[in-house]
Amino acid sequence: MSKTMEALREIFGCRVSASLAERYCYASDASQVQGMPDYVVRPENTQEVSWLLRFCSEHQIPVTPRGAGTGLAGGASPVRGGVVLDMSGMCKIVEIDIGNLQVIVQPGVVADKLNLALRPHGFFFPPDPGSSAMCTIGGMISNNSSGMRSVKYGTTKNYLLDLEVVLADGRIIRTGSKVLKSSAGYDLTRLFAGAEGTLGVITEAGLKMAPLPRSRKLVLTCFQDAETAGRAVISVFSAGITPSACEILDRLTCRVLKSCDPNVAVPDDGDVILFEVDGQESSTEEEALQIAEICRQQALSVRVADSKKEMDEIWAARKLVGAAISRLDPSKTRIYMGEDVGVPISRIPSLIKKVQQISAKLDIPAMKFGHIGDGNLHVALFIDVMDDVQWQKLRLAADRIHRAALEMGGTVSSEHGIGQARAEYLPEQMGEETLQVMRSIKRAIDPANILNPGKLAL
Amino acid sequence: MKLDLRSINRCVRCGTCRSVCPVFEESGWESANTRGRILVMKGLASGFEADKEVQESLNTCTTCGICTEKCPAGVNPPQLVEEARRELVASGIMTAEQSDLSMRIYGSGNTFGELTSRLAWLSDRSWLKAKSDYVYFVGCMNSYRYTETAKNSFALLSKFGVTVLPDEQCCGSPLLRTGFSAARLVDANVRQMKQIGAKTIITGCAGCYTTLKKNYPAEIRIQSIPEFLADHISELNIKSLPLKVTYHDPCHLGRHNKIYEQPRRVIEAVCELREMKANRENARCCGGGGGVRSGYPDLSQQMAKRRLLDVPEGVDYIVTSCPLCVRNLRDAGAGEKVIDLVDLVARATGLPK
Repeated sequence: MSKTMEALREIFGCRVSASLAERYCYASDASQVQGMPDYVVRPENTQEVSWLLRFCSEHQIPVTPRGAGTGLAGGASPVRGGVVLDMSGMCKIVEIDIGNLQVIVQPGVVADKLNLALRPHGFFFPPDPGSSAMCTIGGMISNNSSGMRSVKYGTTKNYLLDLEVVLADGRIIRTGSKVLKSSAGYDLTRLFAGAEGTLGVITEAGLKMAPLPRSRKLVLTCFQDAETAGRAVISVFSAGITPSACEILDRLTCRVLKSCDPNVAVPDDGDVILFEVDGQESSTEEEALQIAEICRQQALSVRVADSKKEMDEIWAARKLVGAAISRLDPSKTRIYMGEDVGVPISRIPSLIKKVQQISAKLDIPAMKFGHIGDGNLHVALFIDVMDDVQWQKLRLAADRIHRAALEMGGTVSSEHGIGQARAEYLPEQMGEETLQVMRSIKRAIDPANILNPGKLAL
Repeated sequence: MKLDLRSINRCVRCGTCRSVCPVFEESGWESANTRGRILVMKGLASGFEADKEVQESLNTCTTCGICTEKCPAGVNPPQLVEEARRELVASGIMTAEQSDLSMRIYGSGNTFGELTSRLAWLSDRSWLKAKSDYVYFVGCMNSYRYTETAKNSFALLSKFGVTVLPDEQCCGSPLLRTGFSAARLVDANVRQMKQIGAKTIITGCAGCYTTLKKNYPAEIRIQSIPEFLADHISELNIKSLPLKVTYHDPCHLGRHNKIYEQPRRVIEAVCELREMKANRENARCCGGGGGVRSGYPDLSQQMAKRRLLDVPEGVDYIVTSCPLCVRNLRDAGAGEKVIDLVDLVARATGLPK
């Protein structure tokens, strides 16, 4: 046994592994970025994390924090080896504090489980990534995750009140408090949101919660093409309505949805926009009718759904559609590349058109769906992974999609993060000088560069 | 190693299975959930040595199939796991527990290594029919451990003209689930089924049911006892009982074969049914299947204990229709509160205890 292993064993006992099987299982997340760790460690409390980071700083061992490993950019892939710190075992809901409108959690709590616990109190934690059934709050904070409801409710960073963070040298800090607002100094809480574990390891989080809406309604609209659909969306927002979700599903996506489950009540003869409104019964009623009215002028069909069962079915199908292509064609696998670009809302129709051109030119099929309400388009590219030529085309397609988004003043990632997969685009997106500020912050907090090295173009 | 890379590659590593795998709930290590197992298989296909941890990753799968149910990409992980186990065993790589289990079954024709008759529970065999359309396939567990259930099953079924195989052998399930061949046992059973002229085989064991359905000639119709009873409810002379019970869906009856409603119909003909917290396609595995009980008894019992937390309050019995589930849940602390569906029906039809 190596000296390092001996030291780790002494603190973590059977919660450390250096077996080939375990290291391989922790080598990647859901992206294509891989790196073999030397050790996997599963801490149970803040003190253990603190001890580990101090130890790794002293011995110059890279540490890559990880939640459920559902990331799509390699944020949790240990590209420089070292230790993978599996935080998913720290999964207690510490306190639900209704009076102060907040909940304190450990980072390994799974998003859906948190919401299951909040529901009886009439509250919820709004950020809702497609992976909410498995992703952890720690991972969500570190990627500043969001989902289809961010158009109204914002992203994870909008719900952070206070973080307990272990720094690279083992120091434990708190970045906020229980107050709902504070104007005291640098906003360190939000500095850690989207930092992808490069600045510290989050060991506890105080989160704001929102009251559950009394009523939801869904307006299903279908358009001849994505451009008409995009115009309708702009008309709805311009009328002063903020839907709680505003999703586009292109023709191909709807066909895949229908083939997987013919009972899903989604039109499949055009590009579909799903508008959801939430709030009081009277307001959702009124807003749903208003949206229907606005869209009717340009749409092929418009329908208001208000049965909970139907809405749940549609959203459940929508959440899983990304990987569903293999159900139709087992020789095809969805590869998460170029899957998370974002542009100003008004540019969405142009982006869709551009993606269509890229996909046609390279002969790589692409489903396009996503949060049109905040300009975030998910492109699902799928290939035969045993075919090297298709891999090459895929990489090319992803690169072109990223560059198209940047040309339109957009972002290479709206909610999945940069990790290593998209790091090469960061200089162009942020500008070299801005990136230098990030690098200065990183150096100041983690001078030995042990925390998740090789990510975020740092 | 020859593995179905086409299927393995369909996994997008989204982690949906990670959130439902009952083994992972107890273990916490990635290699002990479906996504991890698929990665381990990928590793094996690319030349990894099948060391102890690799075997443990593959062998701790109960093949409960909840991952298959939830997988958005349509992967069937239990099938892949069983294939990988077969490949390893074919190369002579297996744990001591696997080896013992196979030797026991090959040597005795049953999972326990018992050398006594499988039909000891049936004292009077003189009137057994040599020819019949229907055969009751008893299974190792009910033949040797739950003989009351075997008696009750036979008593319920015999009025419909059912007989048993004169020299029934283990259906082969424990071998097939853990990577071995069961050809000899299957052949021996099929030969007898043909001699009897059986058109339908009825079994009260979920494990046997899947195996008879998947690994036996397709021309023989296979029915589970819950299906058979549900088809004949009106002929059973059931008198309702003042009981409240819950139903545990055995993985190999529910998820693997979609038999959810028939046992519930039968129970509701007898008494009040209250559902478990996770039921039907979401039912949590009892932890007893896939060779996990024999290979990893502690892990298996932890899963059973967690399953018992799903039991609703105020029920008199936990009814199920798989002797493996009965045993694992009983051992996890529920004791005699766990009963087979057949025993509930037997009581409601006034069969002698």
